[in-house]
Amino acid sequence: MSSSVSTASIARAVIASLALAGASLAAHAETLTVYSAGPGALINSLAADFKAETGIEVNVFQSTTGQVMARLEAESANPLADVVISASWDSAVDLDAEGLLLNYQSANAALVPDFLKADTYVAQGVSALALIWNRNSSTPAPTDWHDLTNPAYADQITMPDPAQSGAAFQLLTGLISAEGEDATWELISDLSANGMIVPGPNARALNPVLQGAKSVVFGAVDYISLGQQANGEAIDIIFPTSGTVIAPRPMMILKSTQQPAAAKQFIDFVLSEQGQARVAESYLMPARTDIPALRPTINELNIITVDEAVNGQREAILQRFAEAVN
Amino acid sequence: MRSTAFFAGLRAPNSASLVMWLTALAVLMLVGLPLLFIVLQAIFPGFSRGEFAGAFSHFAATLGNADLIRLLLNTLQLGLAVVLVCALLAVPLGALRALTRVPGGAVWDILFLIPFMIPPFIAALSWMLTLQPRGYAQQLIGLDANDFLFSFAGIVFVMTLNVFPVVYFAVSRTMMSIGGRYEAAARVSGASRWRAFWRITLPLSTPGIAASLLLVFALTIEEFGTPATLGAQAGYDVLVTGIHNRFSDWPIDIPGAALLSLLLVLLAMVAFYLQHWLVTRRSYVSQTGKPSANVQSELGVWRWPVLLLFGVTAAAAVAVPILAVLATALTRTLSGGLALNNWSLRHFDALLNHSSGALPALGTSLSLAVAAALLTGILGALVGYLVVRAQVRGRRVLDLLSLLPNTMPGIVIAVGLILAWNQRFWPVQIYNTGIMLLLAYTCLLLPYPVRYSQAALRQMSENLEAAARVSGAGFITTFRRILLPALAPSLVVAMLLVFAIASRELVASLMVAPAGTVTVATFVFSQFEQGSPGVGMAMSAVAIFTTTGLLVALTVFSGKRLPINP
Repeated sequence: MSSSVSTASIARAVIASLALAGASLAAHAETLTVYSAGPGALINSLAADFKAETGIEVNVFQSTTGQVMARLEAESANPLADVVISASWDSAVDLDAEGLLLNYQSANAALVPDFLKADTYVAQGVSALALIWNRNSSTPAPTDWHDLTNPAYADQITMPDPAQSGAAFQLLTGLISAEGEDATWELISDLSANGMIVPGPNARALNPVLQGAKSVVFGAVDYISLGQQANGEAIDIIFPTSGTVIAPRPMMILKSTQQPAAAKQFIDFVLSEQGQARVAESYLMPARTDIPALRPTINELNIITVDEAVNGQREAILQRFAEAVN
Repeated sequence: MRSTAFFAGLRAPNSASLVMWLTALAVLMLVGLPLLFIVLQAIFPGFSRGEFAGAFSHFAATLGNADLIRLLLNTLQLGLAVVLVCALLAVPLGALRALTRVPGGAVWDILFLIPFMIPPFIAALSWMLTLQPRGYAQQLIGLDANDFLFSFAGIVFVMTLNVFPVVYFAVSRTMMSIGGRYEAAARVSGASRWRAFWRITLPLSTPGIAASLLLVFALTIEEFGTPATLGAQAGYDVLVTGIHNRFSDWPIDIPGAALLSLLLVLLAMVAFYLQHWLVTRRSYVSQTGKPSANVQSELGVWRWPVLLLFGVTAAAAVAVPILAVLATALTRTLSGGLALNNWSLRHFDALLNHSSGALPALGTSLSLAVAAALLTGILGALVGYLVVRAQVRGRRVLDLLSLLPNTMPGIVIAVGLILAWNQRFWPVQIYNTGIMLLLAYTCLLLPYPVRYSQAALRQMSENLEAAARVSGAGFITTFRRILLPALAPSLVVAMLLVFAIASRELVASLMVAPAGTVTVATFVFSQFEQGSPGVGMAMSAVAIFTTTGLLVALTVFSGKRLPINP
């Protein structure tokens, strides 16, 4: 900044930048605000299609479930979101229990199975948990969760952190429901003894396996890997023979919305044939049973039913998990 | 906040008082307000919902947590280790750059600005992709350094390479402005070159070096990307990851996170007072307004080892991460590795064709970064003046307040800003607009210009301003004609840092970006989250090269005026 630059011209530049930032980002009164976890491409195309059909603009905030929920919590004095899409079923159950959600049953939800909807929320789509195995690795292809305790997989396993991934937590509750507490914690301890690392949420567990630093992910959400496989990554998505759990992605309308009609229209749209086809394109299972999927669906997979009582013990399960892997 | 004493001091009638009032008010709004809301949130667990019940009920559970001591000690250990390694690496580099004729001096300066433009989590990821088994290093030269990378030493190594330029620039600019004059005087008096350095130049540079090392400490204890990426595998947790987990694990624990944040702030305040004690013990006036030629010594036979030192540092801090970014961006699949048939431009293609708006994200980030650099630059110079020069009570409070954001994790500032601005009582709603991002960046990055301008002002004789006043100049004229030009070298470096960091800031952007707005970092982050590391790296490459290109262009156009090209 030489002396020839006057303070006035700096001030002008600041004001201009401020105006630019403000003008380009100012929120419209007539727009719907959607907070969405999960694929950015999916929510962006849903928003664009919805605008084309109804003329209603959609402002999207897309991030991880954790960020979406933190933002909702921080905004709770003056909530801004109209519709929320989470990747964790629990978060919808909790928000519902707090009385923050609007009652709405979409006519398009008629073909969504009962266990994927409630009075205040409904699934957008569903993923399942799987073993993701690198075909170029020197390890054999696993067929079940328990295979990974085999010395052949020593120091070759990653697992998403159940504290940071709702889906990985769901896997723990599923295993506890199917095999009991003792067997589940013994399995996790054995995996840990076999050198399993827990590097963070889904993508952090997956990346080392893609490059080949590790060979297999224990319990990753499947749709991301199905997309990567379609793009040519040398990985296989293996659904364990003893069964797996699903991770439905709840959509809900906040009771505080100023535009309940538009919000309901949006839910209807996501559950329409067109919206569900978009969901299918991202390698998720559509929530509606009549829409074809690009992948194995609930009917073809061996699904473990999660015991509701187990679901409620989040703190205790995460605590026990931390002990088992340390 | 002792506001009465503070404002009483400002009431002194002079032409500066209005500007000073506005400055103090701006800092209070920018930093004080979010901090106040975080304190309230820590005390009242239901504060974010507008409830004041159960004050302090969270303290026992959060502070009684057995892990807390471990997190605190780890944080302290990491901060000190990075400061130490940074000092060992960057003080010699900076001193050599300032006092000797290092071949290609300006080029090294530009290269050492690049680490600021690489988001820390991208740098950490790059090292992972390079050093883990079957990583790029093993594919190319058979090197697998997994055990080193995922260890305390590995975390310190990667973090040092991210932040050492802070010290390098502070040391080299400070020593340049001290110039060869004092050294020449010492040598005339019979001192050897080494003795002149140890007894004159180095002690006179203490304020700048101490300020930059404190900055490194603060940056290290509040950095999230590297500990989150490498720390989880190394089994090394710090306070910031603890805070982040409370913010992002369902159920969200905002009061607990707020409380841990206050602990982090306390930790940094101790460091702040240490630095304050260090730099205000003596006078360091070395700039009196008389022109001084910066005499640089010839390196002679030492030029080769010196070049090697600069080269190795640049290779580790710049070349390795950039090459890893490019390798990931330019290969079709990660599992295909660096094979010839795996090269592809498809990730760059995805950026251009992507409906998700990679290019608008770049535009948003660049314009916000320019605005943040200008705002923090002006405010930083004014705060620096107010703290170092103005004889007002409460200036220590202002000083502390202006430097605090460096000790607050981005996510904490973001939540403070949301709590503060998403209230119905504001006449104008700025929440959910781009102004929030600008506020967040300005708040987070204000400490850079403040520190740099303070260090520069401490070395500037007050006689210059006195002379201007005697000649009839008012405050504005004095500031514009005397102080600003003298401050400019340090201030511009600070503003370049602000620009570079703001153009890729992640953690706060994730929280406060209005719905519908994507920045470079949030775009890259979601690409990784959604399993497209190639697209994420392609965007990183575009952003790093764009910001570097802009800075190089700025340097070229400004001719010799910018300190980056002295």
